[in-house]
Amino acid sequence: MLNIIACYKWVLDEQDIKINPGNLALDTSRAKRKISEYDRNAIEEAVIQAGECGATVASLTFGDSTAKQSLKDALSRGPEKAYWVNDNAAQTADGFVTANVLAAALRKIDKYDIILCGEGSADSYGQQVGPRIGALLGIPAITFVSELKIEGTKVIATRKIGDCTEVATAEFPVVVTLLPEINKPRIPSLKQVLGAAKKPVTEWKASDLGLGAEDLSPVNKIKEIKGFVMSRKNVLYKEGTPAEKVAGLVASLTKEGVL
Amino acid sequence: MGEEEKFDAIIIGAGPAGTACAYILAREGKSVLVIERGISAGSKNLTGGRLYTYALELVEPGLHAEAPLERKVVREQIMMLGANGALTIDYLDYDFKQEVPQSYSILRAPFDEWFAAKAEEQGAMVAPGILVEDLIIRDNKVVGVKAGEDEMYADVVIAADGINSFMAQKAGLRSDLTGHMVGVGVKEVIELPPDVIQNRFNLATDEGTARMIIGCTEGIQGGGFLYTNKDSVSLGIVFSPEAAAKQGKSIHEIHQNFKMHPAIYPLIGDGNTVEYGAHLVPESGWRDVPPKLYRDGFLVTGDAAGFCINTGTILRGIDLAIVSGVAAARAVMKAADSTAVGPAYVKELEQLGLIPTMKMFAGWPDIVAIPRMAETYPRLANEVLRFMFTVDGHVPEKMPKAMRAIVKRHVSMSQLISDGWKGVTSV
Repeated sequence: MLNIIACYKWVLDEQDIKINPGNLALDTSRAKRKISEYDRNAIEEAVIQAGECGATVASLTFGDSTAKQSLKDALSRGPEKAYWVNDNAAQTADGFVTANVLAAALRKIDKYDIILCGEGSADSYGQQVGPRIGALLGIPAITFVSELKIEGTKVIATRKIGDCTEVATAEFPVVVTLLPEINKPRIPSLKQVLGAAKKPVTEWKASDLGLGAEDLSPVNKIKEIKGFVMSRKNVLYKEGTPAEKVAGLVASLTKEGVL
Repeated sequence: MGEEEKFDAIIIGAGPAGTACAYILAREGKSVLVIERGISAGSKNLTGGRLYTYALELVEPGLHAEAPLERKVVREQIMMLGANGALTIDYLDYDFKQEVPQSYSILRAPFDEWFAAKAEEQGAMVAPGILVEDLIIRDNKVVGVKAGEDEMYADVVIAADGINSFMAQKAGLRSDLTGHMVGVGVKEVIELPPDVIQNRFNLATDEGTARMIIGCTEGIQGGGFLYTNKDSVSLGIVFSPEAAAKQGKSIHEIHQNFKMHPAIYPLIGDGNTVEYGAHLVPESGWRDVPPKLYRDGFLVTGDAAGFCINTGTILRGIDLAIVSGVAAARAVMKAADSTAVGPAYVKELEQLGLIPTMKMFAGWPDIVAIPRMAETYPRLANEVLRFMFTVDGHVPEKMPKAMRAIVKRHVSMSQLISDGWKGVTSV
């Protein structure tokens, strides 16, 4: 039987992140976590495809201990089982580390035909993990996919690139990274939520996957994360006739180099 | 229906009533499903309130020590706003800080989340993000709930779905809400550093203030409240939506003017608003508690049952919700069969003192509803004090004459007698 693995990241909910107006530091102390939006599309697509071709779906995530909460949510979205690499290395991981871990987990899972990822994560949106997994496993990766079909032993994927679309096919196993328009993730129903609690979860540490310190050291080292505040000029054109106001606006825009 | 789909109890709503009930039932070995509409417990909640800890002790002794509470209330205050000043009664009681603390300010979002997690630890199953749309009723007995396509069955369904309880309506125990039954509450949570809060409200590190305010609703029946949290202040007003509509005033406008009042602004100045919202608040106490709190296979608890007390000096709702959840759980545990659960629930509510207490305060909403309570009397009180404290070199009027004149400017003798009579008879 076909095996589809949907990868997801357990990210901070950006709505709960506050920016300190003084030093622009991020305050994440009260932020809750959620499954990255784009990865919800990946889980949904896995479940939709499995419904059509009778595949088995598993979810796979790499996170620290807080990701335990994500398992029920992920499983309520349809996968039959969940894999969770629970390691604090996730706190500093970049695309390199995450791909190392996920690829190692996939090797351990052993049976995978289609690996689905969101195009990027809701937090850093690096678009690295999918292609890197493909490279590490020595299998094709198809990115920017807005439509997916499974036929026999291959996928037919429509890629959306700028104004064009491109149709790519690849034999299993294959990594596919999905754009959000591919589907609309479900809101799990009561029975799906209850059913999730009974589904099996496999938990690994990075060391269980034979990963060493080098595999877990990020190559992108983050020096600083700061909020971005759009500073506004707050100019109000209230004097004069409408024509004069427009003239004033045009003059200001010209001065700013916008026009 | 499959065996696995039937629970001993399904509880709708993971607020304090539902969670208290779920906690006890799960601890006692019952299979319990709590269905919550919000994406997590507390996410739909707006209460800036206080928790009387006796209620949590009923659930599990010592539980309050673990709860995410804000500050122990040691200062109880009543504030009457004048046009350009205020009279505040400040009652400080350090006995409130003794071994069994009386009350804490709480923020419901973290509190509810914590409480629901505690119930889960006891074995309750919490399903968030699910809206229950209907009850399943067979042979005049409530046997389960419907959520989307799914049906789920239980020996008893407990409605803890808040003030606008669709479940109690579906069960035929409540009618739709009417304007006089509810107040509209507007609440803002304003962040301030803890030391600033301590300085402004004259508190030590872990101490808090609870303040009821009248004279802040521009003459509309209602009042305001203020609670100090660890690093924020919950400030809000509650008033009659009917009266506000008649005067054509917007909620937002009244709240804004309240915040800008010279006696309020210095308390919140330099603060940062982190939450702003409006919610319905049960207002009319015992009289609007449904005459029947159960039917076969179904109980109604907390705000859904209208359990609230507003004495003018304190607001109680969260503690009553927890007590009713405890009563429901005890009734389920004790009742021999499903028809006995409802009567057992009412008996527990009597024994735990909830019904007697609510009956005792049954007439109090009439006092709060006296139109002159919202503006006339607070202004009058301020003017009396202004007279007493004014020194301008002139010979003051004689006290009795001056007082009579002040009173006369605000109310007629007949209004005063009628309001006084109403006050005495209501209490």
